[in-house]
Amino acid sequence: MEKLIQAIYGGIVYGSIFGMMALGLTLIWGALRMLNLAHGSLYLVGTYIAWALVTLLKVPMVPALLIAALGTAVVGFGMQTLFLNRILGKPGWDVGSLIVGVGVGMALDQSILLIFGPRVKQMPPLIPGVYKIGRVVINYNFLVVVAVAVISLVLLSIFLSKSRHGLAIQAVSQQPDAAQLMGIPTRTVFLIVMCISAALAGLAGALLSTVYQVQRESGANAMLMALVVTIFGGLGSVKGTIWAAYLIGLLQSFLMVYLGAGTALPGVFLFMMIMLVIRPSGLFGLGEAQRL
Amino acid sequence: MLKVTNLEAGYGGSIVLHGVSLEVRDGEAVVLLGPNGHGKTTLLRTISGLIRPSAGRIEFDGKVLSDMSPAEIVAAGVVHIPQGDLPFPELTVLENLLMGAYLPDAWKQRKQKLEQVYELFPVLRERSNQLARTLSGGERRMLALGRGLMSNAKLLMVDEPSLGLAPFLIEEVYRKIRDINKSGLSVLLADENADHIAGFADRVYLLEMGSIVSEGTAEEMLKNEALLAAYLG
Repeated sequence: MEKLIQAIYGGIVYGSIFGMMALGLTLIWGALRMLNLAHGSLYLVGTYIAWALVTLLKVPMVPALLIAALGTAVVGFGMQTLFLNRILGKPGWDVGSLIVGVGVGMALDQSILLIFGPRVKQMPPLIPGVYKIGRVVINYNFLVVVAVAVISLVLLSIFLSKSRHGLAIQAVSQQPDAAQLMGIPTRTVFLIVMCISAALAGLAGALLSTVYQVQRESGANAMLMALVVTIFGGLGSVKGTIWAAYLIGLLQSFLMVYLGAGTALPGVFLFMMIMLVIRPSGLFGLGEAQRL
Repeated sequence: MLKVTNLEAGYGGSIVLHGVSLEVRDGEAVVLLGPNGHGKTTLLRTISGLIRPSAGRIEFDGKVLSDMSPAEIVAAGVVHIPQGDLPFPELTVLENLLMGAYLPDAWKQRKQKLEQVYELFPVLRERSNQLARTLSGGERRMLALGRGLMSNAKLLMVDEPSLGLAPFLIEEVYRKIRDINKSGLSVLLADENADHIAGFADRVYLLEMGSIVSEGTAEEMLKNEALLAAYLG
């Protein structure tokens, strides 16, 4: 019983964070047909902004999280306007956008190394304290992380399905030519998507910095899991991504609790391979991934 | 209203339109006739800003469209219903229609416009919460027209509204477009046969190999069967 609670609790925590990361990836894939390989680095930017604000500048936690999300959005804005806009709509976009992702990612990673150095850093928790159910320790900090993640996922879903600009993002993703004929400015929409996606990555990074140690490798790990989730959920599908995030989160958590931490990653990848054999376009993928 | 002068345009290096000139006046229904692959769609796509012209001029109500972005051209009142409808497949019918009213001025009036569109196409009201990809061919065509009407269009450009539809549906679609035209909207319609000119078109242009080879009123064109047969077969 305690193991079960532990596993479910862990799964929800992982799932929420995977969801935030993966949703950013999937939004960009849907709108721009680009796999943003800099996504993990954007996560790292959020992490370090939050750490610098909280520990160096003594900014309180909540504004620090917001500034981290905003700051990362600004980096995404720069990536779009400085690099991606130049190759947008030109032949070779597929490969070009991948290269931009790798390049921007490297530049960000190395800048972080230069500025903050290689030492692993520690963030204080959002809210200290724990709650115990039998031998299961529920960390208040984790609960806040989950709450923030879930709230941002819900707000984003509402934005995408109800607001004029959110619907326009979906329209551009599904049928860019028709979207242009409705007067939707596609480039502006791409920019909005990039900023939202970066903000999500930055917020995820900032949130997780209160859970794990702050180190440069965490960006790559987060990117890897986000990629697994998006592939699993069907690239470009918001609904599929959110489902997949919690599914993979729970899977990882159950493997950790019942079979040991070492089995988690191999298990997740094995599961993904089986899944891709059975359903190559993902859980909710629609062939050429048109859904957003 | 719309005035196209010596327009030259194409894809990449190859020119498709060789100095096309045509005009649509206020309230008119103009049909652009021509066989497949002779530049009708290219002409409409150039007018709506999806393709940049390499030479020539497009004017609408005194504004020069040839320098504008597609969004600005829609805002000016020129709305293009594309060939093949191009619905947003994973949005509902209602959401598709709302996207037709994306621009701020149209968005403010979206409720009235929605009522008007539902009145003209009752089937869209019935289907309003269905995903667009679940619609039949005829319903998709109605959706494409309805979506175009959600904007503040002054000129509606319709590209081959008969494409891929059963004959009885084709009649209905043309009847709807005629109603739209009667309600005061100018229409420029591209078509590959002359079946629907009578009782619909005010004037007709014949486009071949990217050039206008003939123009006239609908009556004049219909009398000249030899000409139509020669070009359209």
